[in-house]
Amino acid sequence: MSLLEIKDLSVEFSARENTVKAVSHVFFKVREGETLGLIGESGSGKSVIGLALLRLLPANANVSGTVLFQGQDLFSLRPSELRKIRGKRISLMPQNPAGALNPVLKNRLQIEEVFEERGIDKKEGMKKSLRLMKKLLLRDPEKLCDLYPHQLSGGMRQRLIACMSLSFEPELMIADEPTKGLDPEAKEGAVELFTKIKNDYGKTMLLITHDLDLALEVCDRIAVMYAGEIVELDKASKVLNAPSHPYTKGLVRAQPRNGLVPLSGQSPSRISLPEGCFFHERCRYSNIECFRKHPEMKNHNGGWIRCHFQSLQ
Amino acid sequence: MSLPILAVNELAMSFGTLEVFRSVSFSVARGETLGLFGKSGSGKTTIGKCIVGLERPTGGEIRVQGANILNMGKKEFRKLRPKIQIIFQHPETSLDPRMKAFENLIEPLKLHSGLKQDALLKWGEELAELTGLRPEHLARYPIQLSGGEIQRIVLARIMALSPDFIVADEPTSMLDVSVQAQILRLMQKLQRETGVSYLLISHDLEVLRKVCHRIAYLDNGTITSIENIKRDVKR
Repeated sequence: MSLLEIKDLSVEFSARENTVKAVSHVFFKVREGETLGLIGESGSGKSVIGLALLRLLPANANVSGTVLFQGQDLFSLRPSELRKIRGKRISLMPQNPAGALNPVLKNRLQIEEVFEERGIDKKEGMKKSLRLMKKLLLRDPEKLCDLYPHQLSGGMRQRLIACMSLSFEPELMIADEPTKGLDPEAKEGAVELFTKIKNDYGKTMLLITHDLDLALEVCDRIAVMYAGEIVELDKASKVLNAPSHPYTKGLVRAQPRNGLVPLSGQSPSRISLPEGCFFHERCRYSNIECFRKHPEMKNHNGGWIRCHFQSLQ
Repeated sequence: MSLPILAVNELAMSFGTLEVFRSVSFSVARGETLGLFGKSGSGKTTIGKCIVGLERPTGGEIRVQGANILNMGKKEFRKLRPKIQIIFQHPETSLDPRMKAFENLIEPLKLHSGLKQDALLKWGEELAELTGLRPEHLARYPIQLSGGEIQRIVLARIMALSPDFIVADEPTSMLDVSVQAQILRLMQKLQRETGVSYLLISHDLEVLRKVCHRIAYLDNGTITSIENIKRDVKR
């Protein structure tokens, strides 16, 4: 059974007289023990999906669709029931670890706080956390607890956040852009960290990232997002080593080692999306049909792709 | 042979007793991109800040077209200032959040050019076009823009002053791959058109190898080697 199933998820934000379509008709499943990567450029709606799952979006967000977590519909739960799931059974590793920690509290207090909120004995909780911190490659966790967040490096802060989000042994972990702004050494560390979480804890993860190297190393399957839609969904190695969708091809070519070739143009305005395929204005293979008709998700070589011309490629 | 745009000689910096770097020397020619590579905490950013006058080094000299900026008078330095610009790592903190993108874009022009409103507007629009911004972006506040769009505005407002030299401190580390490629290619285009020189600070060697003419390696507080990548710069 899938641990998480998303059906026809759409998110719109109303801004004065306009509506911004952040996510449109997204569907995917995450199986137990699987890591699914969501990749795509900034503004493609990746983070919004993560936040929508936990109902953390602001009040002007208009969310439709169904999200089933172990068969339970998250969108119809009462707030009190949702609180039993949020942070406990589904946890979120937020973007920007520096901003996720309170700068005026020592690290120990921030870890304890998690347990306090849950009404669990702090000492018991700390013991558990310290064990976890050792396992997650943090050296000398005791000493680290007596420091403030700004005294840690970016990589260490991220590990600390990882420990906090794992402290309740959640069934699903959502990690939002864990490698943004980290230097190559810390990035390697992040790959190690996530591989460890995956292997040692068998965690099911939804990994939101634009770091293609991290995605390839850690994810089992990858969903590529463009302008709020999933355009390609398949095994990680297939998506990144032999991409089918023209947009995914463009992403891979934009990597420095593949030539640093930019995609022409910009992603479309989300207030008035173009007719036909959202990508046709920037697509090298674009044809008359792409202007007229919006492509549906189709089965292609065992994966999914949203393109009119997948058979030609 | 003309003077290099920028020459840094025996630059040293310490905070209290902590030495950040010592005897750092390099020069950058007109139209050249010099990469500065180092790990986080190696002092890359501090070198960049010294060059634009945001930090004062504890020793050495920084020569812009031959003149040492460290023993320049305030007035003299103020004249030079528009010519040496910096792009910061975090695009979201570079703009005034209470100003719309277009106001942010023309602000340096207002301060330095003394142009009238009409001329300002026209020039601003040209710059926006040069950096690939659409009119709809210009009417937004920074918070409503993506990282890539903000970096374009930052570039546009810097180019407004027709600088000779730009320190780009990790300009793309917070951006995603496709936008990174766009911004770096845009910087190359601006270089071809205006002959501006860059000091590109980064911890991503793949990026530096792709866009720089030479790369200086900063290790253990000093520059250990300078590698030639492309040899097609006029000197």
